[in-house]
Formats: sequence, structure tokens, C-alpha cells
Amino acid sequence: MKVSEVPQDITYYEGEKRACYALDDEGRYVVVPSAGWSAEDVVNSLAVEELARQLEETRQAVEAGLKSPLCYHMERRQMNPEILGKTAGVAVFRVKRHFRPEIFAKLKSSVLSRYARALAVTLDELITVPKQPPERESRS
Amino acid sequence: MTEELTSAGRPFVHHHSAHCESGVTSALFRDKGVELSEAMVFGIGSGIFFGHLPFIKWVGLPITTFRSRPGTLFSKVAKRLGGDFFTKRYRNARKGMDDLRQALRRGHIVGLTTNIYWLSYFPNRFRFQFNGHNIVVLREIENGFRVSDPVLEHPVDCLTDDLERARFARGPLEPKGFMYYARSVPQNPDLRKACVAAMKDSCNMMLRIPFPFVGIRGMRWLAKATIQSPSKLGFQEACRRLANIVRMQEEVGTGGAGFRFMYAAFLQETAGLFDSSELLELSREMTAIGDLWREFAVVSARIIKKRGQAEETFEKAGGLMLICAGREESLFRDLDKIARNLRA
Repeated sequence: MKVSEVPQDITYYEGEKRACYALDDEGRYVVVPSAGWSAEDVVNSLAVEELARQLEETRQAVEAGLKSPLCYHMERRQMNPEILGKTAGVAVFRVKRHFRPEIFAKLKSSVLSRYARALAVTLDELITVPKQPPERESRS
Repeated sequence: MTEELTSAGRPFVHHHSAHCESGVTSALFRDKGVELSEAMVFGIGSGIFFGHLPFIKWVGLPITTFRSRPGTLFSKVAKRLGGDFFTKRYRNARKGMDDLRQALRRGHIVGLTTNIYWLSYFPNRFRFQFNGHNIVVLREIENGFRVSDPVLEHPVDCLTDDLERARFARGPLEPKGFMYYARSVPQNPDLRKACVAAMKDSCNMMLRIPFPFVGIRGMRWLAKATIQSPSKLGFQEACRRLANIVRMQEEVGTGGAGFRFMYAAFLQETAGLFDSSELLELSREMTAIGDLWREFAVVSARIIKKRGQAEETFEKAGGLMLICAGREESLFRDLDKIARNLRA
């Protein structure tokens, strides 16, 4: 790749730039900041959209009373039951059990606060889900 | 490149790097007065690799990696260049944070292994649960730390809370607050010796691991799996898999083409070190292979975007990967021969 070929297609890094290695005119390698590449954008959007779609499905399931808000907040943090269980100090089978709304509703506050700390949300946030699908949130 | 002050009051020049671990290691050496480029560190740490782990799923997708396991790069560089390094993992988060502050107060710049999701200074697109991201802490500031993150263009501020979460995140490859800094490094490290050892090691990793999913073998295996994937998994799932490979190749801070360009830069520098035209030739070949990998990414992106309507097919994508595998195999075989004949 030559310096002139370093892609500067899109700026989806939110202003940040990536370092790319490319050859300059004398054939020496130099580091060139890249604003983004359209090929990369295609594959990355696929992954991001999939996550967003899944999260929205879960949000609707929670509103329909099929899943507990815990499931939503876990997915929002891109975690899975194993990671959440380890972070909160709760066994994985219990975490999965707590995805059932009727069981989640009966949880003691001590367990809830462990989940809240692990997911970096407040207790109030933990027992509810947002009304609208979130715009890609800015800060945790 | 931006100038910053460390806790010792020394100026610190932030270099924009492609890869976190090599960037951090090179920063630690530079802070002690030894100029080492990122590419050099990447090569000496034998960072280049290929692996495909079909059984270990991450967000439901098999892991494909173009680099050696996180953490090994730093330790290999430390071993090959010598020097006295402090390294420690912690069970207790408070102890880990206290030790960090103490090390800073003693005037070191400190490398940390972190979870990238909890580093909120990153744009959202970069943030995912990955526990192998490395950063350099320069000094403590009001309710946070001044951080030089090698993959960003400029140093940033990081909140104490975020940093603690990031260091002690749980899950696969737990960082456990891993912290490292250089107490002293040799002022004139024997680069030639280190390069020879590193090149031999890289060749071994790419050619001789008797396991079908790593090195050149892994590349061939994945190429064949890619060709068969639409008929075996269905078009949708095959696209997801293919997208994941390209993401690992380009997205995750690789300097382009899954670290192949960075390794070409290393070979170029080594060629200068040994005054060897053979190595320079290999550097050119590596660049050509990197360009092929980029082409593979373009073809894959077209398949995914056009949903199978375009003329690009999975056979073509897999075929490109097979060509890459073949050329990389002969490159590493040549490199192995050259490295054995070089006088360190």
C-alpha cells in the first residue's frame, strides 16, 4: 500500500484516525493516519447493526413481559451471562434464571445492587428499560 | 506526535501506533532513552501470526486472529532485548490502583492491560468486550489519569472509575490489573541478535505448529471453510462469518492487512540493520501479500454489500486467501533460511 492509497473514505471513527503502514515515494514505510475505509465500514456496520437489532428485540421482549430488564442491560454492555456472572459474583445459572421476569421481580436488593455495580447502572435504571430504542448512547 | 509531561516531569512524545501492545512497549523503551520503532518492537516480539479458533465463540462467531496471543509480545521483547521490568497482576483492585499511583510517583510511565469496553474515551464503534488492550499511563490528574493510548492520535484523560473497571474486568483473558514498567533497559540493546531470534520464532509459529487451525495450515483451513460456507451455513450466516474475518483483519488496530504491512516495515528495518538485499526483497513480497489481503477484504465487502447479486463469490474470496497462504508459506520458508544464515 502506498501513502496515496491509504483510504480516507469515511469518518465514522467520530473524528479519530487510525494509524496505517504505507510506503512513501522512496519506498520506505511510514505511519499514515487513516480516516476510515469503505470496505471496513461495510463489515463493521453489519456487526453494529446486528447488535442494535438484537438489543431492540430484547427491549421489546422486556416490555412484553417475556424477559427481565437484566437481560437488556447485559446486552447493552455487550456482555454474556458468563461475563456478567463473574463480574457480579453470581453463578451463571442464577444469572440465566434471573432473565425470567417473575424471578427477577422477587430479587433481594443486595443481589440487585451487585448487578447494578457490575453493569455500571443505577438501581432504578436496572429494573426498567428505556421507552425508546436508544440512539447509540454516548457515555456508559 | 504530541508532547506531554510524565509524572517525573520528563517530556513524553506520543507516537500514533497501529497496534496497542507494540505501541506501549515501544513507548516504555523510548521513555528510558532507547529509540525503537513500533514495527521493530512488533517484529522482535514475534507479533505476526495467524489463527482461527472455530470452537471458541465470541458473540457467537469463531475467533480469527492475525497476531500472537495478547501479552506475549511484551514478554518476548523484554526477554530478547533484556532489561529489568516490573510486571504484576492483582487480585485486589484497590491494591492494584495504589501500586499504579506509587509507580507514577516514582517517575515511571506505566503500561496497563485493560478491557476496551470500559475506556469511555473511545468512540462507540471501537468499544467491545475485549480484555487485551494496552495503554500507557503518564501521570495522575484530578479524578483521573493522563493516558497515552497508542492507537489514538493524541493523549487523553481517563476517569479513575473507568480505569479501575477496565483493569479489573472479568471474562475471557482477564487482565487482572496487569501492570508493567521498565526499571531499566540496556542503552545499546543487541538488536541484530534479537531480530534473528524473533524471525526464527515467527517462522516456527507460522510453519511448524502441528495443529490444523494455526499458521499457514490455519489459513488454508479457513480458506476452504469460507468457500464451503454458503452451502453449509446458508448465505446469511456465511456473510456474518466472512465479515468477522475482515473485521479482525482491518478493524482491530492492525496497521492494515492484518499486521502484514507492519511486518513488512519490520523486515525493511531489519534489512537496513543487516545490510541485506534478501530481506529487503522479502519486505517487498510481504507488502504484495498485504495488498492481496486488502483485495480479499474488498471482495468480501462487495459480497456482503450486494447480498450475492454481484459477480464476486465466496469462491473468489476463499481463493484469494489460498493465494495469500501459499505466498506467505514460501515467504516464511525463505525467511527461515535467511535468518539461519545471518550473523547476529
